[in-house]
Amino acid sequence: MADQQNPQLSGFIVERMELGVFAVDSSFNIVLWNHFMHTHSGKSWESLKGTNLFASFPELPESWLKRKIEHVFALGNYAFTSWEQRAYLFRFKHNRPITGGVDAMLQNCTFLPLRDAKGKVELVVITLQDCTDNALIQQRLAEAITVSDEERRKQQELIVKLEDAKNQLYQSEKLASIGQLAAGVAHEINNPIGFVNSNLGTLERNVTDLMKLMAVFESKETELPKDTQRELSKIKKEIDFEYLKEDLAALISESKEGLSHVRRIVSDLKDFSRVDQSGWQIADLEKCIDTTLNVVSNEIRYKATVVKEYGHPPLVECVPGQINQVLMNLVVNASQAFPERGQITLRTGEEGMYVWIEVEDNGIGIPPENQQRIFEPFFTTKPVGTGTGLGLSVCYNIIRKHEGDLIVRSEVGKGTCFRILLPIFHGKMGESEEIEFANSAPQ
Amino acid sequence: MNKGLSEDQTDALQELANIGMGQAGDSLARIWKEFVHLSIPKIAIVDASRLPALIHGFVGDTAVSASRQAFHGGFRGEVLVVVSAKDRNGLANLMGYEGQLDSVEREEVLLDIVNLLGGACVGGIAQQVNAEIGFSAPSLIGEDIDPLDVIHPDQLAIDKALSLEVCFQVENRSLTAHLVILLPNNEVGALAELLDQFLCTL
Amino acid sequence: MPVSVLIVDDSPIARKMMRRSLPPDWDITIQEAVDGAQAIDIYRKGGVELMFLDLTMPNIDGYGVLEILQAEGLNCIVIVVSADVQPQARARVLAMGAIAFIPKPVNPEGLQEVLRQYGILV
Ligand SMILES: Nc1ncnc2c1ncn2[C@@H]1O[C@H](COP(=O)(O)OP(=O)(O)OP(=O)(O)O)[C@@H](O)[C@H]1O
Ligand SMILES: [Mg+2]
Repeated sequence: MADQQNPQLSGFIVERMELGVFAVDSSFNIVLWNHFMHTHSGKSWESLKGTNLFASFPELPESWLKRKIEHVFALGNYAFTSWEQRAYLFRFKHNRPITGGVDAMLQNCTFLPLRDAKGKVELVVITLQDCTDNALIQQRLAEAITVSDEERRKQQELIVKLEDAKNQLYQSEKLASIGQLAAGVAHEINNPIGFVNSNLGTLERNVTDLMKLMAVFESKETELPKDTQRELSKIKKEIDFEYLKEDLAALISESKEGLSHVRRIVSDLKDFSRVDQSGWQIADLEKCIDTTLNVVSNEIRYKATVVKEYGHPPLVECVPGQINQVLMNLVVNASQAFPERGQITLRTGEEGMYVWIEVEDNGIGIPPENQQRIFEPFFTTKPVGTGTGLGLSVCYNIIRKHEGDLIVRSEVGKGTCFRILLPIFHGKMGESEEIEFANSAPQ
Repeated sequence: MNKGLSEDQTDALQELANIGMGQAGDSLARIWKEFVHLSIPKIAIVDASRLPALIHGFVGDTAVSASRQAFHGGFRGEVLVVVSAKDRNGLANLMGYEGQLDSVEREEVLLDIVNLLGGACVGGIAQQVNAEIGFSAPSLIGEDIDPLDVIHPDQLAIDKALSLEVCFQVENRSLTAHLVILLPNNEVGALAELLDQFLCTL
Repeated sequence: MPVSVLIVDDSPIARKMMRRSLPPDWDITIQEAVDGAQAIDIYRKGGVELMFLDLTMPNIDGYGVLEILQAEGLNCIVIVVSADVQPQARARVLAMGAIAFIPKPVNPEGLQEVLRQYGILV
């Protein structure tokens, strides 16, 4: 042991080092008290020698400290206190200017068992280390870390927002380009359709005139020479003239019908993309559904039968182009959920301050674990290149922007139902904006 | 712990841990004047990578508090104590705390528990194999954390660890603690040697 | 005549430690059992006079052994040796017929005193 090597030296070190050292026996009587303890407590070894620790320092937390020391006597283990949990054992002034709100010396204490020759703990030596400087540095460090953590958190938030914005942008670009395409196509088709339509009109008139002439010819036919009559009737038979007369009118009226169908599609395309009208409007959701169904009818014709169960809810304040987009995504998703042929049911109705639309299919359904995730951007179960997984996330964002809700109910093997809830009115339409159906706007 | 411990050495360690904990329980009962029961510790040497699963298996799906304490001397390492968060308060008044505990005091109790149990177990073993062991101040790993977050094996520089399950009961207050002793790979040899010396005296 | 002693403990080290704490020049024969079941088997063969019994063991623990011995007439002296030093354990084994409870690690002087007290060692 050190004191056997050079008792004078170790005695000096214990006495003079910058560390509080004191010791007590099992009755808590003070048996050692070094210079550091003396200067800071103001009580000298001479005055404390042999006195009870708790009698001399009644301000000490007696029950706790007694236990702590008893444990060391009984178990012979080390024990500790740290300024982080317990600022100090003895309330000493610290000899630095007051900074950081510290008003007393912060201390780390160690309790050491001193054993006798038989191994029984005879004394407990307590050392007391001034940690004020370290503590202050640590505090400052902790503050700095808190600040940088906060900054990192904000950055993280920003990144998430950025990601959101990116997806949104991506989608609105997609929307915009669909819109432009639709508008372009509509425009290009409109012109030729215009003159085909007018030509058809002329053609119809001309044919009618021609038929009028033919009727006169036919009535005078018996006046012609027999040979000529025979030749005419042979040709009439060959070309099935009776049928031709009827068919000509039918051909023209069918063409007119077909053409008006094309014109409706073109106008739907224009409606759908709303290149001409954007922003908040009072719209008829059932019309939105019809328009959307027309646009996607080719996509779904061979996969599904469409059933409409309209409840004729009131008009709704919304951005129709965006609602069309939502409906299209839901209907296309539904049509992709059938292994063979299925049925898509579209329902509408009113509920309190909301109008709802349901898009229901009897397809494969969505397993519960996926139901949480389908609204995430890029979540898709479709083969690479088929789905981007953006459809529903866009729908969700659009409906959220409408302060509505998009809810999924699904059972594997039975089918899926998406329910859109839209508030009828939320005052999004600025006064400067044009209101299309001003008369039917709710109060 | 590339070599690990032989069967004899493990058996000796188990027996020494039993005795150490038994003595500690006895000493504590004398101070607290309450009946203390420390169960026979279950010792296992496990792959460090399995520690999170082991701790989780021990406490189940509940938040835990954990603290650690380093020791040095005859053999060197770290002892980790994991207690399930709800058990701890009952022990505070035995440690001399009075009244309702604030959060800092709860931390201190936790440090006291690692100090007591770690000291009893590692100190008890060391004493019987005649090794001098010193302890550093304990520190907190976390309060109310997921049991899987106590140890991140990829941050450990060791391959194997010694796991001890101890159940610590005082009258009707009970605290189940899981002790894990982490020995650096090259320290296992030192412990094995001490155990061999002990076995030779038999 | 040497005294027939049976040491019951599941830990080989503990059995060795037990052997070592017995008085060195005592005229005895020693048998060992690694659990309670084996202890009962050896006891039933007859002849065991003194049993050092651990409490925590697989296949019938120390309490179980005491129970069976009591039921079968307790035909030998039992000293319980355990690291489980709780007073309840002590009271319980004494009530079950053990003559003494010795905490681990066994202190040889303490053991001799018990043995003398009961006239096992002269
Ligand atoms: N009606 C439905 N029935 C079954 N599963 C559906 C239905 N609607 C959506 N899903 C599931 O949700 C996933 C996400 O749909 P979402 O519309 O967001 O992306 P997608 O259809 O895969 O790709 P994209 O719409 O970009 O082409 C789909 O991959 C599918 O697994
Ligand atoms: Mg889709």
